[in-house]
Parts: sequence; structure tokens; C-alpha cells
Amino acid sequence: MNRRDSIKKAALLLGGVISAPTLLALKSCKNREASISDEFALSDVHRKIVSEIAELILPKTDTPGAIDAGVPAFIEMMILDCYKKPEQTSFMEGVQALAAEDFTGMSSEEKTARLQKLEADAKEEMKARDVKQTKIGDNIDEETMKAQAKGLPFWRLMKELTLLGYFTSEAGITSSFEYVQIPTKFEPIKIEADQKAYAY
Amino acid sequence: MYLNINAEKQNTFDAIVVGSGMTGGMAAKELTEKGLSVLMIERGREVKHVKDYDTAMLEPWDFQHRGKVTTYSAEEKWANARFGTLVNEETGKFFTNDTDNPYIEKQGFDWIRAYHTGGKSMHWGRQSYRWNRQDFEANAKEGIGIDWPIRYDDLEPWYTYVEKFVGISGQKEGLEVLPDGHFLPPMPMSAPEIHFKNMMKDKFNRPVTIGRIANLTQSQQVHTDLGRGSCQYRNKCSRGCPYGAYYSSLSGSIPAAMRTNKLSILHDSIATEIIYDGEKGKATGVRVIDQNTMEVTEYFAKIIFLNAGAMNTAALLLNSKSERFPNGLGNDSDQVGRNIMDHQLGVGASAMVEGFEDDYVFGQRPNALYIPRFRNWGEDKQNYLRGFGYQGGASREDWSRGTNQDGFGASFKESLTKPGPWRFGFGGFGEVLSNSENRMYLDPDKKDKWGVPLIVFDAAFGENELAMRKDIENSCAEMLEAAGFKNISTYNRVTHLGLGIHEMGTARMGREEKTSVLNAFNQVHACKNVFVTDGAAMTSASCVNPSITYMALTARAADFAVSELKKMNLQ
Repeated sequence: MNRRDSIKKAALLLGGVISAPTLLALKSCKNREASISDEFALSDVHRKIVSEIAELILPKTDTPGAIDAGVPAFIEMMILDCYKKPEQTSFMEGVQALAAEDFTGMSSEEKTARLQKLEADAKEEMKARDVKQTKIGDNIDEETMKAQAKGLPFWRLMKELTLLGYFTSEAGITSSFEYVQIPTKFEPIKIEADQKAYAY
Repeated sequence: MYLNINAEKQNTFDAIVVGSGMTGGMAAKELTEKGLSVLMIERGREVKHVKDYDTAMLEPWDFQHRGKVTTYSAEEKWANARFGTLVNEETGKFFTNDTDNPYIEKQGFDWIRAYHTGGKSMHWGRQSYRWNRQDFEANAKEGIGIDWPIRYDDLEPWYTYVEKFVGISGQKEGLEVLPDGHFLPPMPMSAPEIHFKNMMKDKFNRPVTIGRIANLTQSQQVHTDLGRGSCQYRNKCSRGCPYGAYYSSLSGSIPAAMRTNKLSILHDSIATEIIYDGEKGKATGVRVIDQNTMEVTEYFAKIIFLNAGAMNTAALLLNSKSERFPNGLGNDSDQVGRNIMDHQLGVGASAMVEGFEDDYVFGQRPNALYIPRFRNWGEDKQNYLRGFGYQGGASREDWSRGTNQDGFGASFKESLTKPGPWRFGFGGFGEVLSNSENRMYLDPDKKDKWGVPLIVFDAAFGENELAMRKDIENSCAEMLEAAGFKNISTYNRVTHLGLGIHEMGTARMGREEKTSVLNAFNQVHACKNVFVTDGAAMTSASCVNPSITYMALTARAADFAVSELKKMNLQ
């Protein structure tokens, strides 16, 4: 599957919603093709993994879960539209590795344990990355640094996009927070018992 | 509007105002209200107040990328994207396409532009502070750049005048460093912010005040007459306010000018040149090119106000060459395009606040706290000149804290629905000194698609700015620590000039024709019917946000221009 197909597929998963700017960019922006990793193309197995992980991060409880909120398709669309090659590659490698381990065939305890390991590894990688970048940054200019930079770890991308996709979705916002469209005032208040966060 | 390009009479107005942003709007309002017919020339597309704020009432989930910037938008708006997330789907249409409007960076320059009705007044930060007396006197005292031809007292009545019209919410503090103005009721502080304010008073004797901001906390008749209502505390100002609660040219000055029936606005019309008549010794009009049809038209007026934004105003002067002005209109001094200033930012600190778990806020305050300058003020002396102010405050973390937290699953999900811990943070806004080496000029060869020479930027922060940055960073951490906050982290990301979006100084006011472009009334020294009242006019930068000062200068210059017209001094 090539890039365009992949984007179209992601659009279909979103229920055919693809923005005019996105379509325009596909037509007009030559550099865009170059800035996207050729390897980023999720198979159905990959999508199942993304979907399962998103739901494990934010499962359905008495409120909707990640899948209910359309998070899996959102993640794929975001990786395509808002991230560059290093992240796309990193995401692809991450999901491929889990596919090779037959993640979807694991028991739910095994899956949880696997994700805990993934989180611990990502944390270490982030730490090492901060140290390395600071060190490189002293000697090499920013552009070179960016080019050499490895993408954010797969787990980190999964987690930040799952949270973003869920907590900005209609299902996520209205079930998780006290959603206020037009506050009409600003005032310091005292928290009530079981106070949910406000979202605006 | 319909215009017969062959009929000079139809293309003749009492005044032309180039630009529809913060100062263009104010110039048009003042000149029309004083009875002049005015043509406002806007290079970009038309944006209609409220009607064209099409994202204003959308829900978070209506935005496909949920506030994130796409790679292709960042590429197209390569300069604007340096400012952060504003080129996203919520507000991106109010930022210029840099690919269509390129510029050249001999040294990096972050030029953030807004080519449409209202310009950058559409999405300004709205912080509005009067300059203090020292701000006007420091250049002369310290031998930096040149002296201002005016003092605080010259501008004081005009501050009051524009503050009443604009509507500034704020708290009177009686400080010399931050003169009080005409204020609407102040916005409240949260519990940790009140704690911080008290601690700063106790430990450093430094005042902390609520931001003085051009959002109506209580709209007055002068505002409701224009259809402007009070702030609804959504904090989505940059999308355009459907209540007209924050001031912009679109909500304030342009409607005020329109109700005089004296204002005509041309859109999509790029002013390329000021037409100078050597025999008459004055400017007679402006040449524009339609950005869509490429059609060139000339418009004529008795007086011309340049309010295109500091860099474009200077470019327009430089591009207006004649026998009398071979280096650009009014550029005998060679100061047009020089002395670029801005405010430096991207430096500050943040911390975790322990306690205040029972405290929260309802609503989104589109405002922050302000810590006025305390450096090189009173007894304080530093190894650099001038000073800085801080803007910031406290908020409880939202769900996004989960990204950096361990864990996942049902209880993790549940925990993120609660308000997170309080965080406190400030960023500095530091004064940049005038330096004639910091300049922009027109490229001799390269042109944009309308045949207008590209601007080349050759400017950078100097030693004084860099020394100040260290202090901004350290002093911020020191204050947060003194307030008892924990896990303090500082940041100091050196940017280019321009990122403060307070670019100014390229046609400075001064006392002498040899060293300045404008006189004490923003009049071009050698071409008296041309006035420059945007940021280009600034002789020094202060450290406070400049828009209210630009507007005060504009109203003052318009008043002067009309009285000069009446005295037949501009014929």
C-alpha cells in the first residue's frame, strides 16, 4: 500500500472525514510525500494492535473507552498528518515488533505485562535521548541534531495520541469532565467532593 | 467596492491609511471621526467581524487534528509555525502563507504576519501597559540610539483616550514603573496566585498585578454602541471573538470608522509605492497592485498614514524611490529599515505547587499575572541596561499530564478526569536595545510574485539582551523558590528577533533629521504629509507590550495631522 492509499484508508476509518486542507496538501505539496516515511503503512493486523493498545490504555468502564471514541483511526491519521519521518518510522517499528510477537494472540495478563515492559523501555529511551540531545546540542547545530534524532518511542506516541484522541473527543470530554462551552465568568472556587475537571 | 481606475477624482480621498491592523484601524477611526474621507488599503483578504470567525464556536472534537499543527501547514507557513501552534485549524487562517510571501534571512528572523482585515489585532496577546517616564528618557540618559522627541506627558492624555475606547481591564497599583490607566474591573487571581503575590511583597518588595488586558470585563456604552459585549471567559480569543469582547480593529476601530460613512476599504490590494511629487514637495498618493488580478491602480490623498506593520511600512518607504529620495521616501538619514527592535521571550521557569488541593477555578481567564520590571529600577543596578517584565500564573494540570505519568487502564483513566496538581510558571519579556546594525533592506534582485522586492533581514540579539536573558531565567527561578514552590525547571530558548511579534523601530521618531525618519508627531521629516504611526516609529522598545502605545501615538498624530490640514500646512 502506498502513501496515498494509506491516507485514504485512514480517512475511511474516520468515516470518510478528510479535511479539504488535507486533500489539497495531497495534491499540491510535493515535499509532503518526501517528508513521510515510505515504510509507514499499517496492515489490518497492525491496526488491530493499535486498537487493542489504545483500549488497554483507556478501557471502556462505566464511561466510553478509546475504541468508542474513535481513537484508533485518529492515531493513524495523526501520525500521517502531524508527525514526520522519524516518528512514523518509530511507530511502524514498534507496531511491527508487536506483530512479530503475536501481540493480539496473547492473554490479557500477557498483554498488560507486555505494555508495562514497553512503558519501562520507553522511559529509559526517553531519558537516554534527553541526555544525548543535550550533549549533541552543545556542539552541533539544531538542524543536524533534528536530522539525526530518532523518533519518539512507539509507546510514547501511542500514549500521547490515545489521550489526545480520547480526551478531546465528544464521547471522552462529555463523559470524563464537566464540559462548559460558555463559562460567562471566571472565579476562584473551592473543590467539591468528587469534583471532575472542567473542560471548555 | 467599484472603482473607475481612469477617474482620478473617484480615486481621491482626504486621507489614505495603508494597513488595517492595530494602528491602521485607529488612524482610520480618528481621521474619519474628524471629518476626513479615508481610504484604507489592506493587502490581504477581507475578514468580516463575527461572520468570518468560523471556528469561534466549534467544539474541540470538530477540529480534525484537535489543535495540533499538520506537517504540511507547518511547511506552508514556515515562519508563522515558529511561533507555535497557532497555525492549526482553530486559528491558522489568520496567519499568512509564508510560501506565497517569502522573505530572506541573512540572519534568522521570525516574521509573524497576518494579511487580512484587522491584521495582527485579530490575535494579539491583548496585554496593554503604559510606558513609564523612564522609558522615554533612558536612551538620552544612557547614550543608546537617539533621544525620543516626546515624553510621557506628551502621550499621557492619548493613553487615556485610547484606553477608554479600547477597554482595558486592570488593577490600579500606583506604581511609577507601570503607570495606572483608565481601567475596567480587574480579573480575579486564583488562590496560589494570591499566595505568590503576597510572598513577592514580603520577600522582595516586588509588586505582582493581574494582567492589564484589552478584554471587556464590563462593557461600557462606548463599547456596546459598537456591538461589543463582555468577556465570556472561554479563552478562545485567537479564533476571533463572536462577542467582540476583546479589542481588535474588527471589533473596535473599523466599525467606529464605518459609522461615520467616511471610510472605504480596499482589500487584496498591496501598496507597492508612495507617489511623490517633486515639484509640490509632497506625496500625492499610493500605488497598489491587486493581489489576485495584478491590476495596478493609483489612489490619491492629501495625507497618507503608513500602518502596514513596522517591516512592511519600512519596505514601502524603501521601495518609494524618486529623484528627491533615491534611497526611499523620507530616507535622507539612512535610518529607514534600521534599528529593528522586538521583545525577547522564550525564557522563564515553572514549578510544582504543593497544597491548594481544595482550590480550583471556574472559567478560562484569557489573562495572566504581570510582574513589572524591577531591574535597573530604583536602587537596583545590573551589569546590563534596561529590564524585563514577567507574564504567567497558576493553573491545575489537565488530562495531558497523563502522557508523562506511568500506567494505563481503568484507574489511570479515572485519575485523569480529576483536576491535576497546580503548576506555576512565568516567562519574561525583555527590552531590546536600539542598534543601527540591526536592519532590514530590500533585496536588489529577488522579487515576490507581485514584483515587489523581497525583504532581507540582518538582525540579531546583542550582548545586552543575552546578559539580560540569564537574569530573566535565574530571577524567575528565585522567585518561584521564594514562594515555596517545588521542582523548579527553567528554560532559555534563544530565538531570533521577531518572535515577540513586537517588531519595531524601522522608521524611528527623533529630534534631528540627520538621525531619524519622523518628527515628534510621526511626520516624515522631509515629506510632511506622510505619517508613520505603527511600530516603525518607535525610538526605543521598553519591555512592556507595545500596542496601546502605538495606538496612543496614532491618535495623537491623527489629531495633529487634521489640525495641520486645517491650518493649510500640508497643502
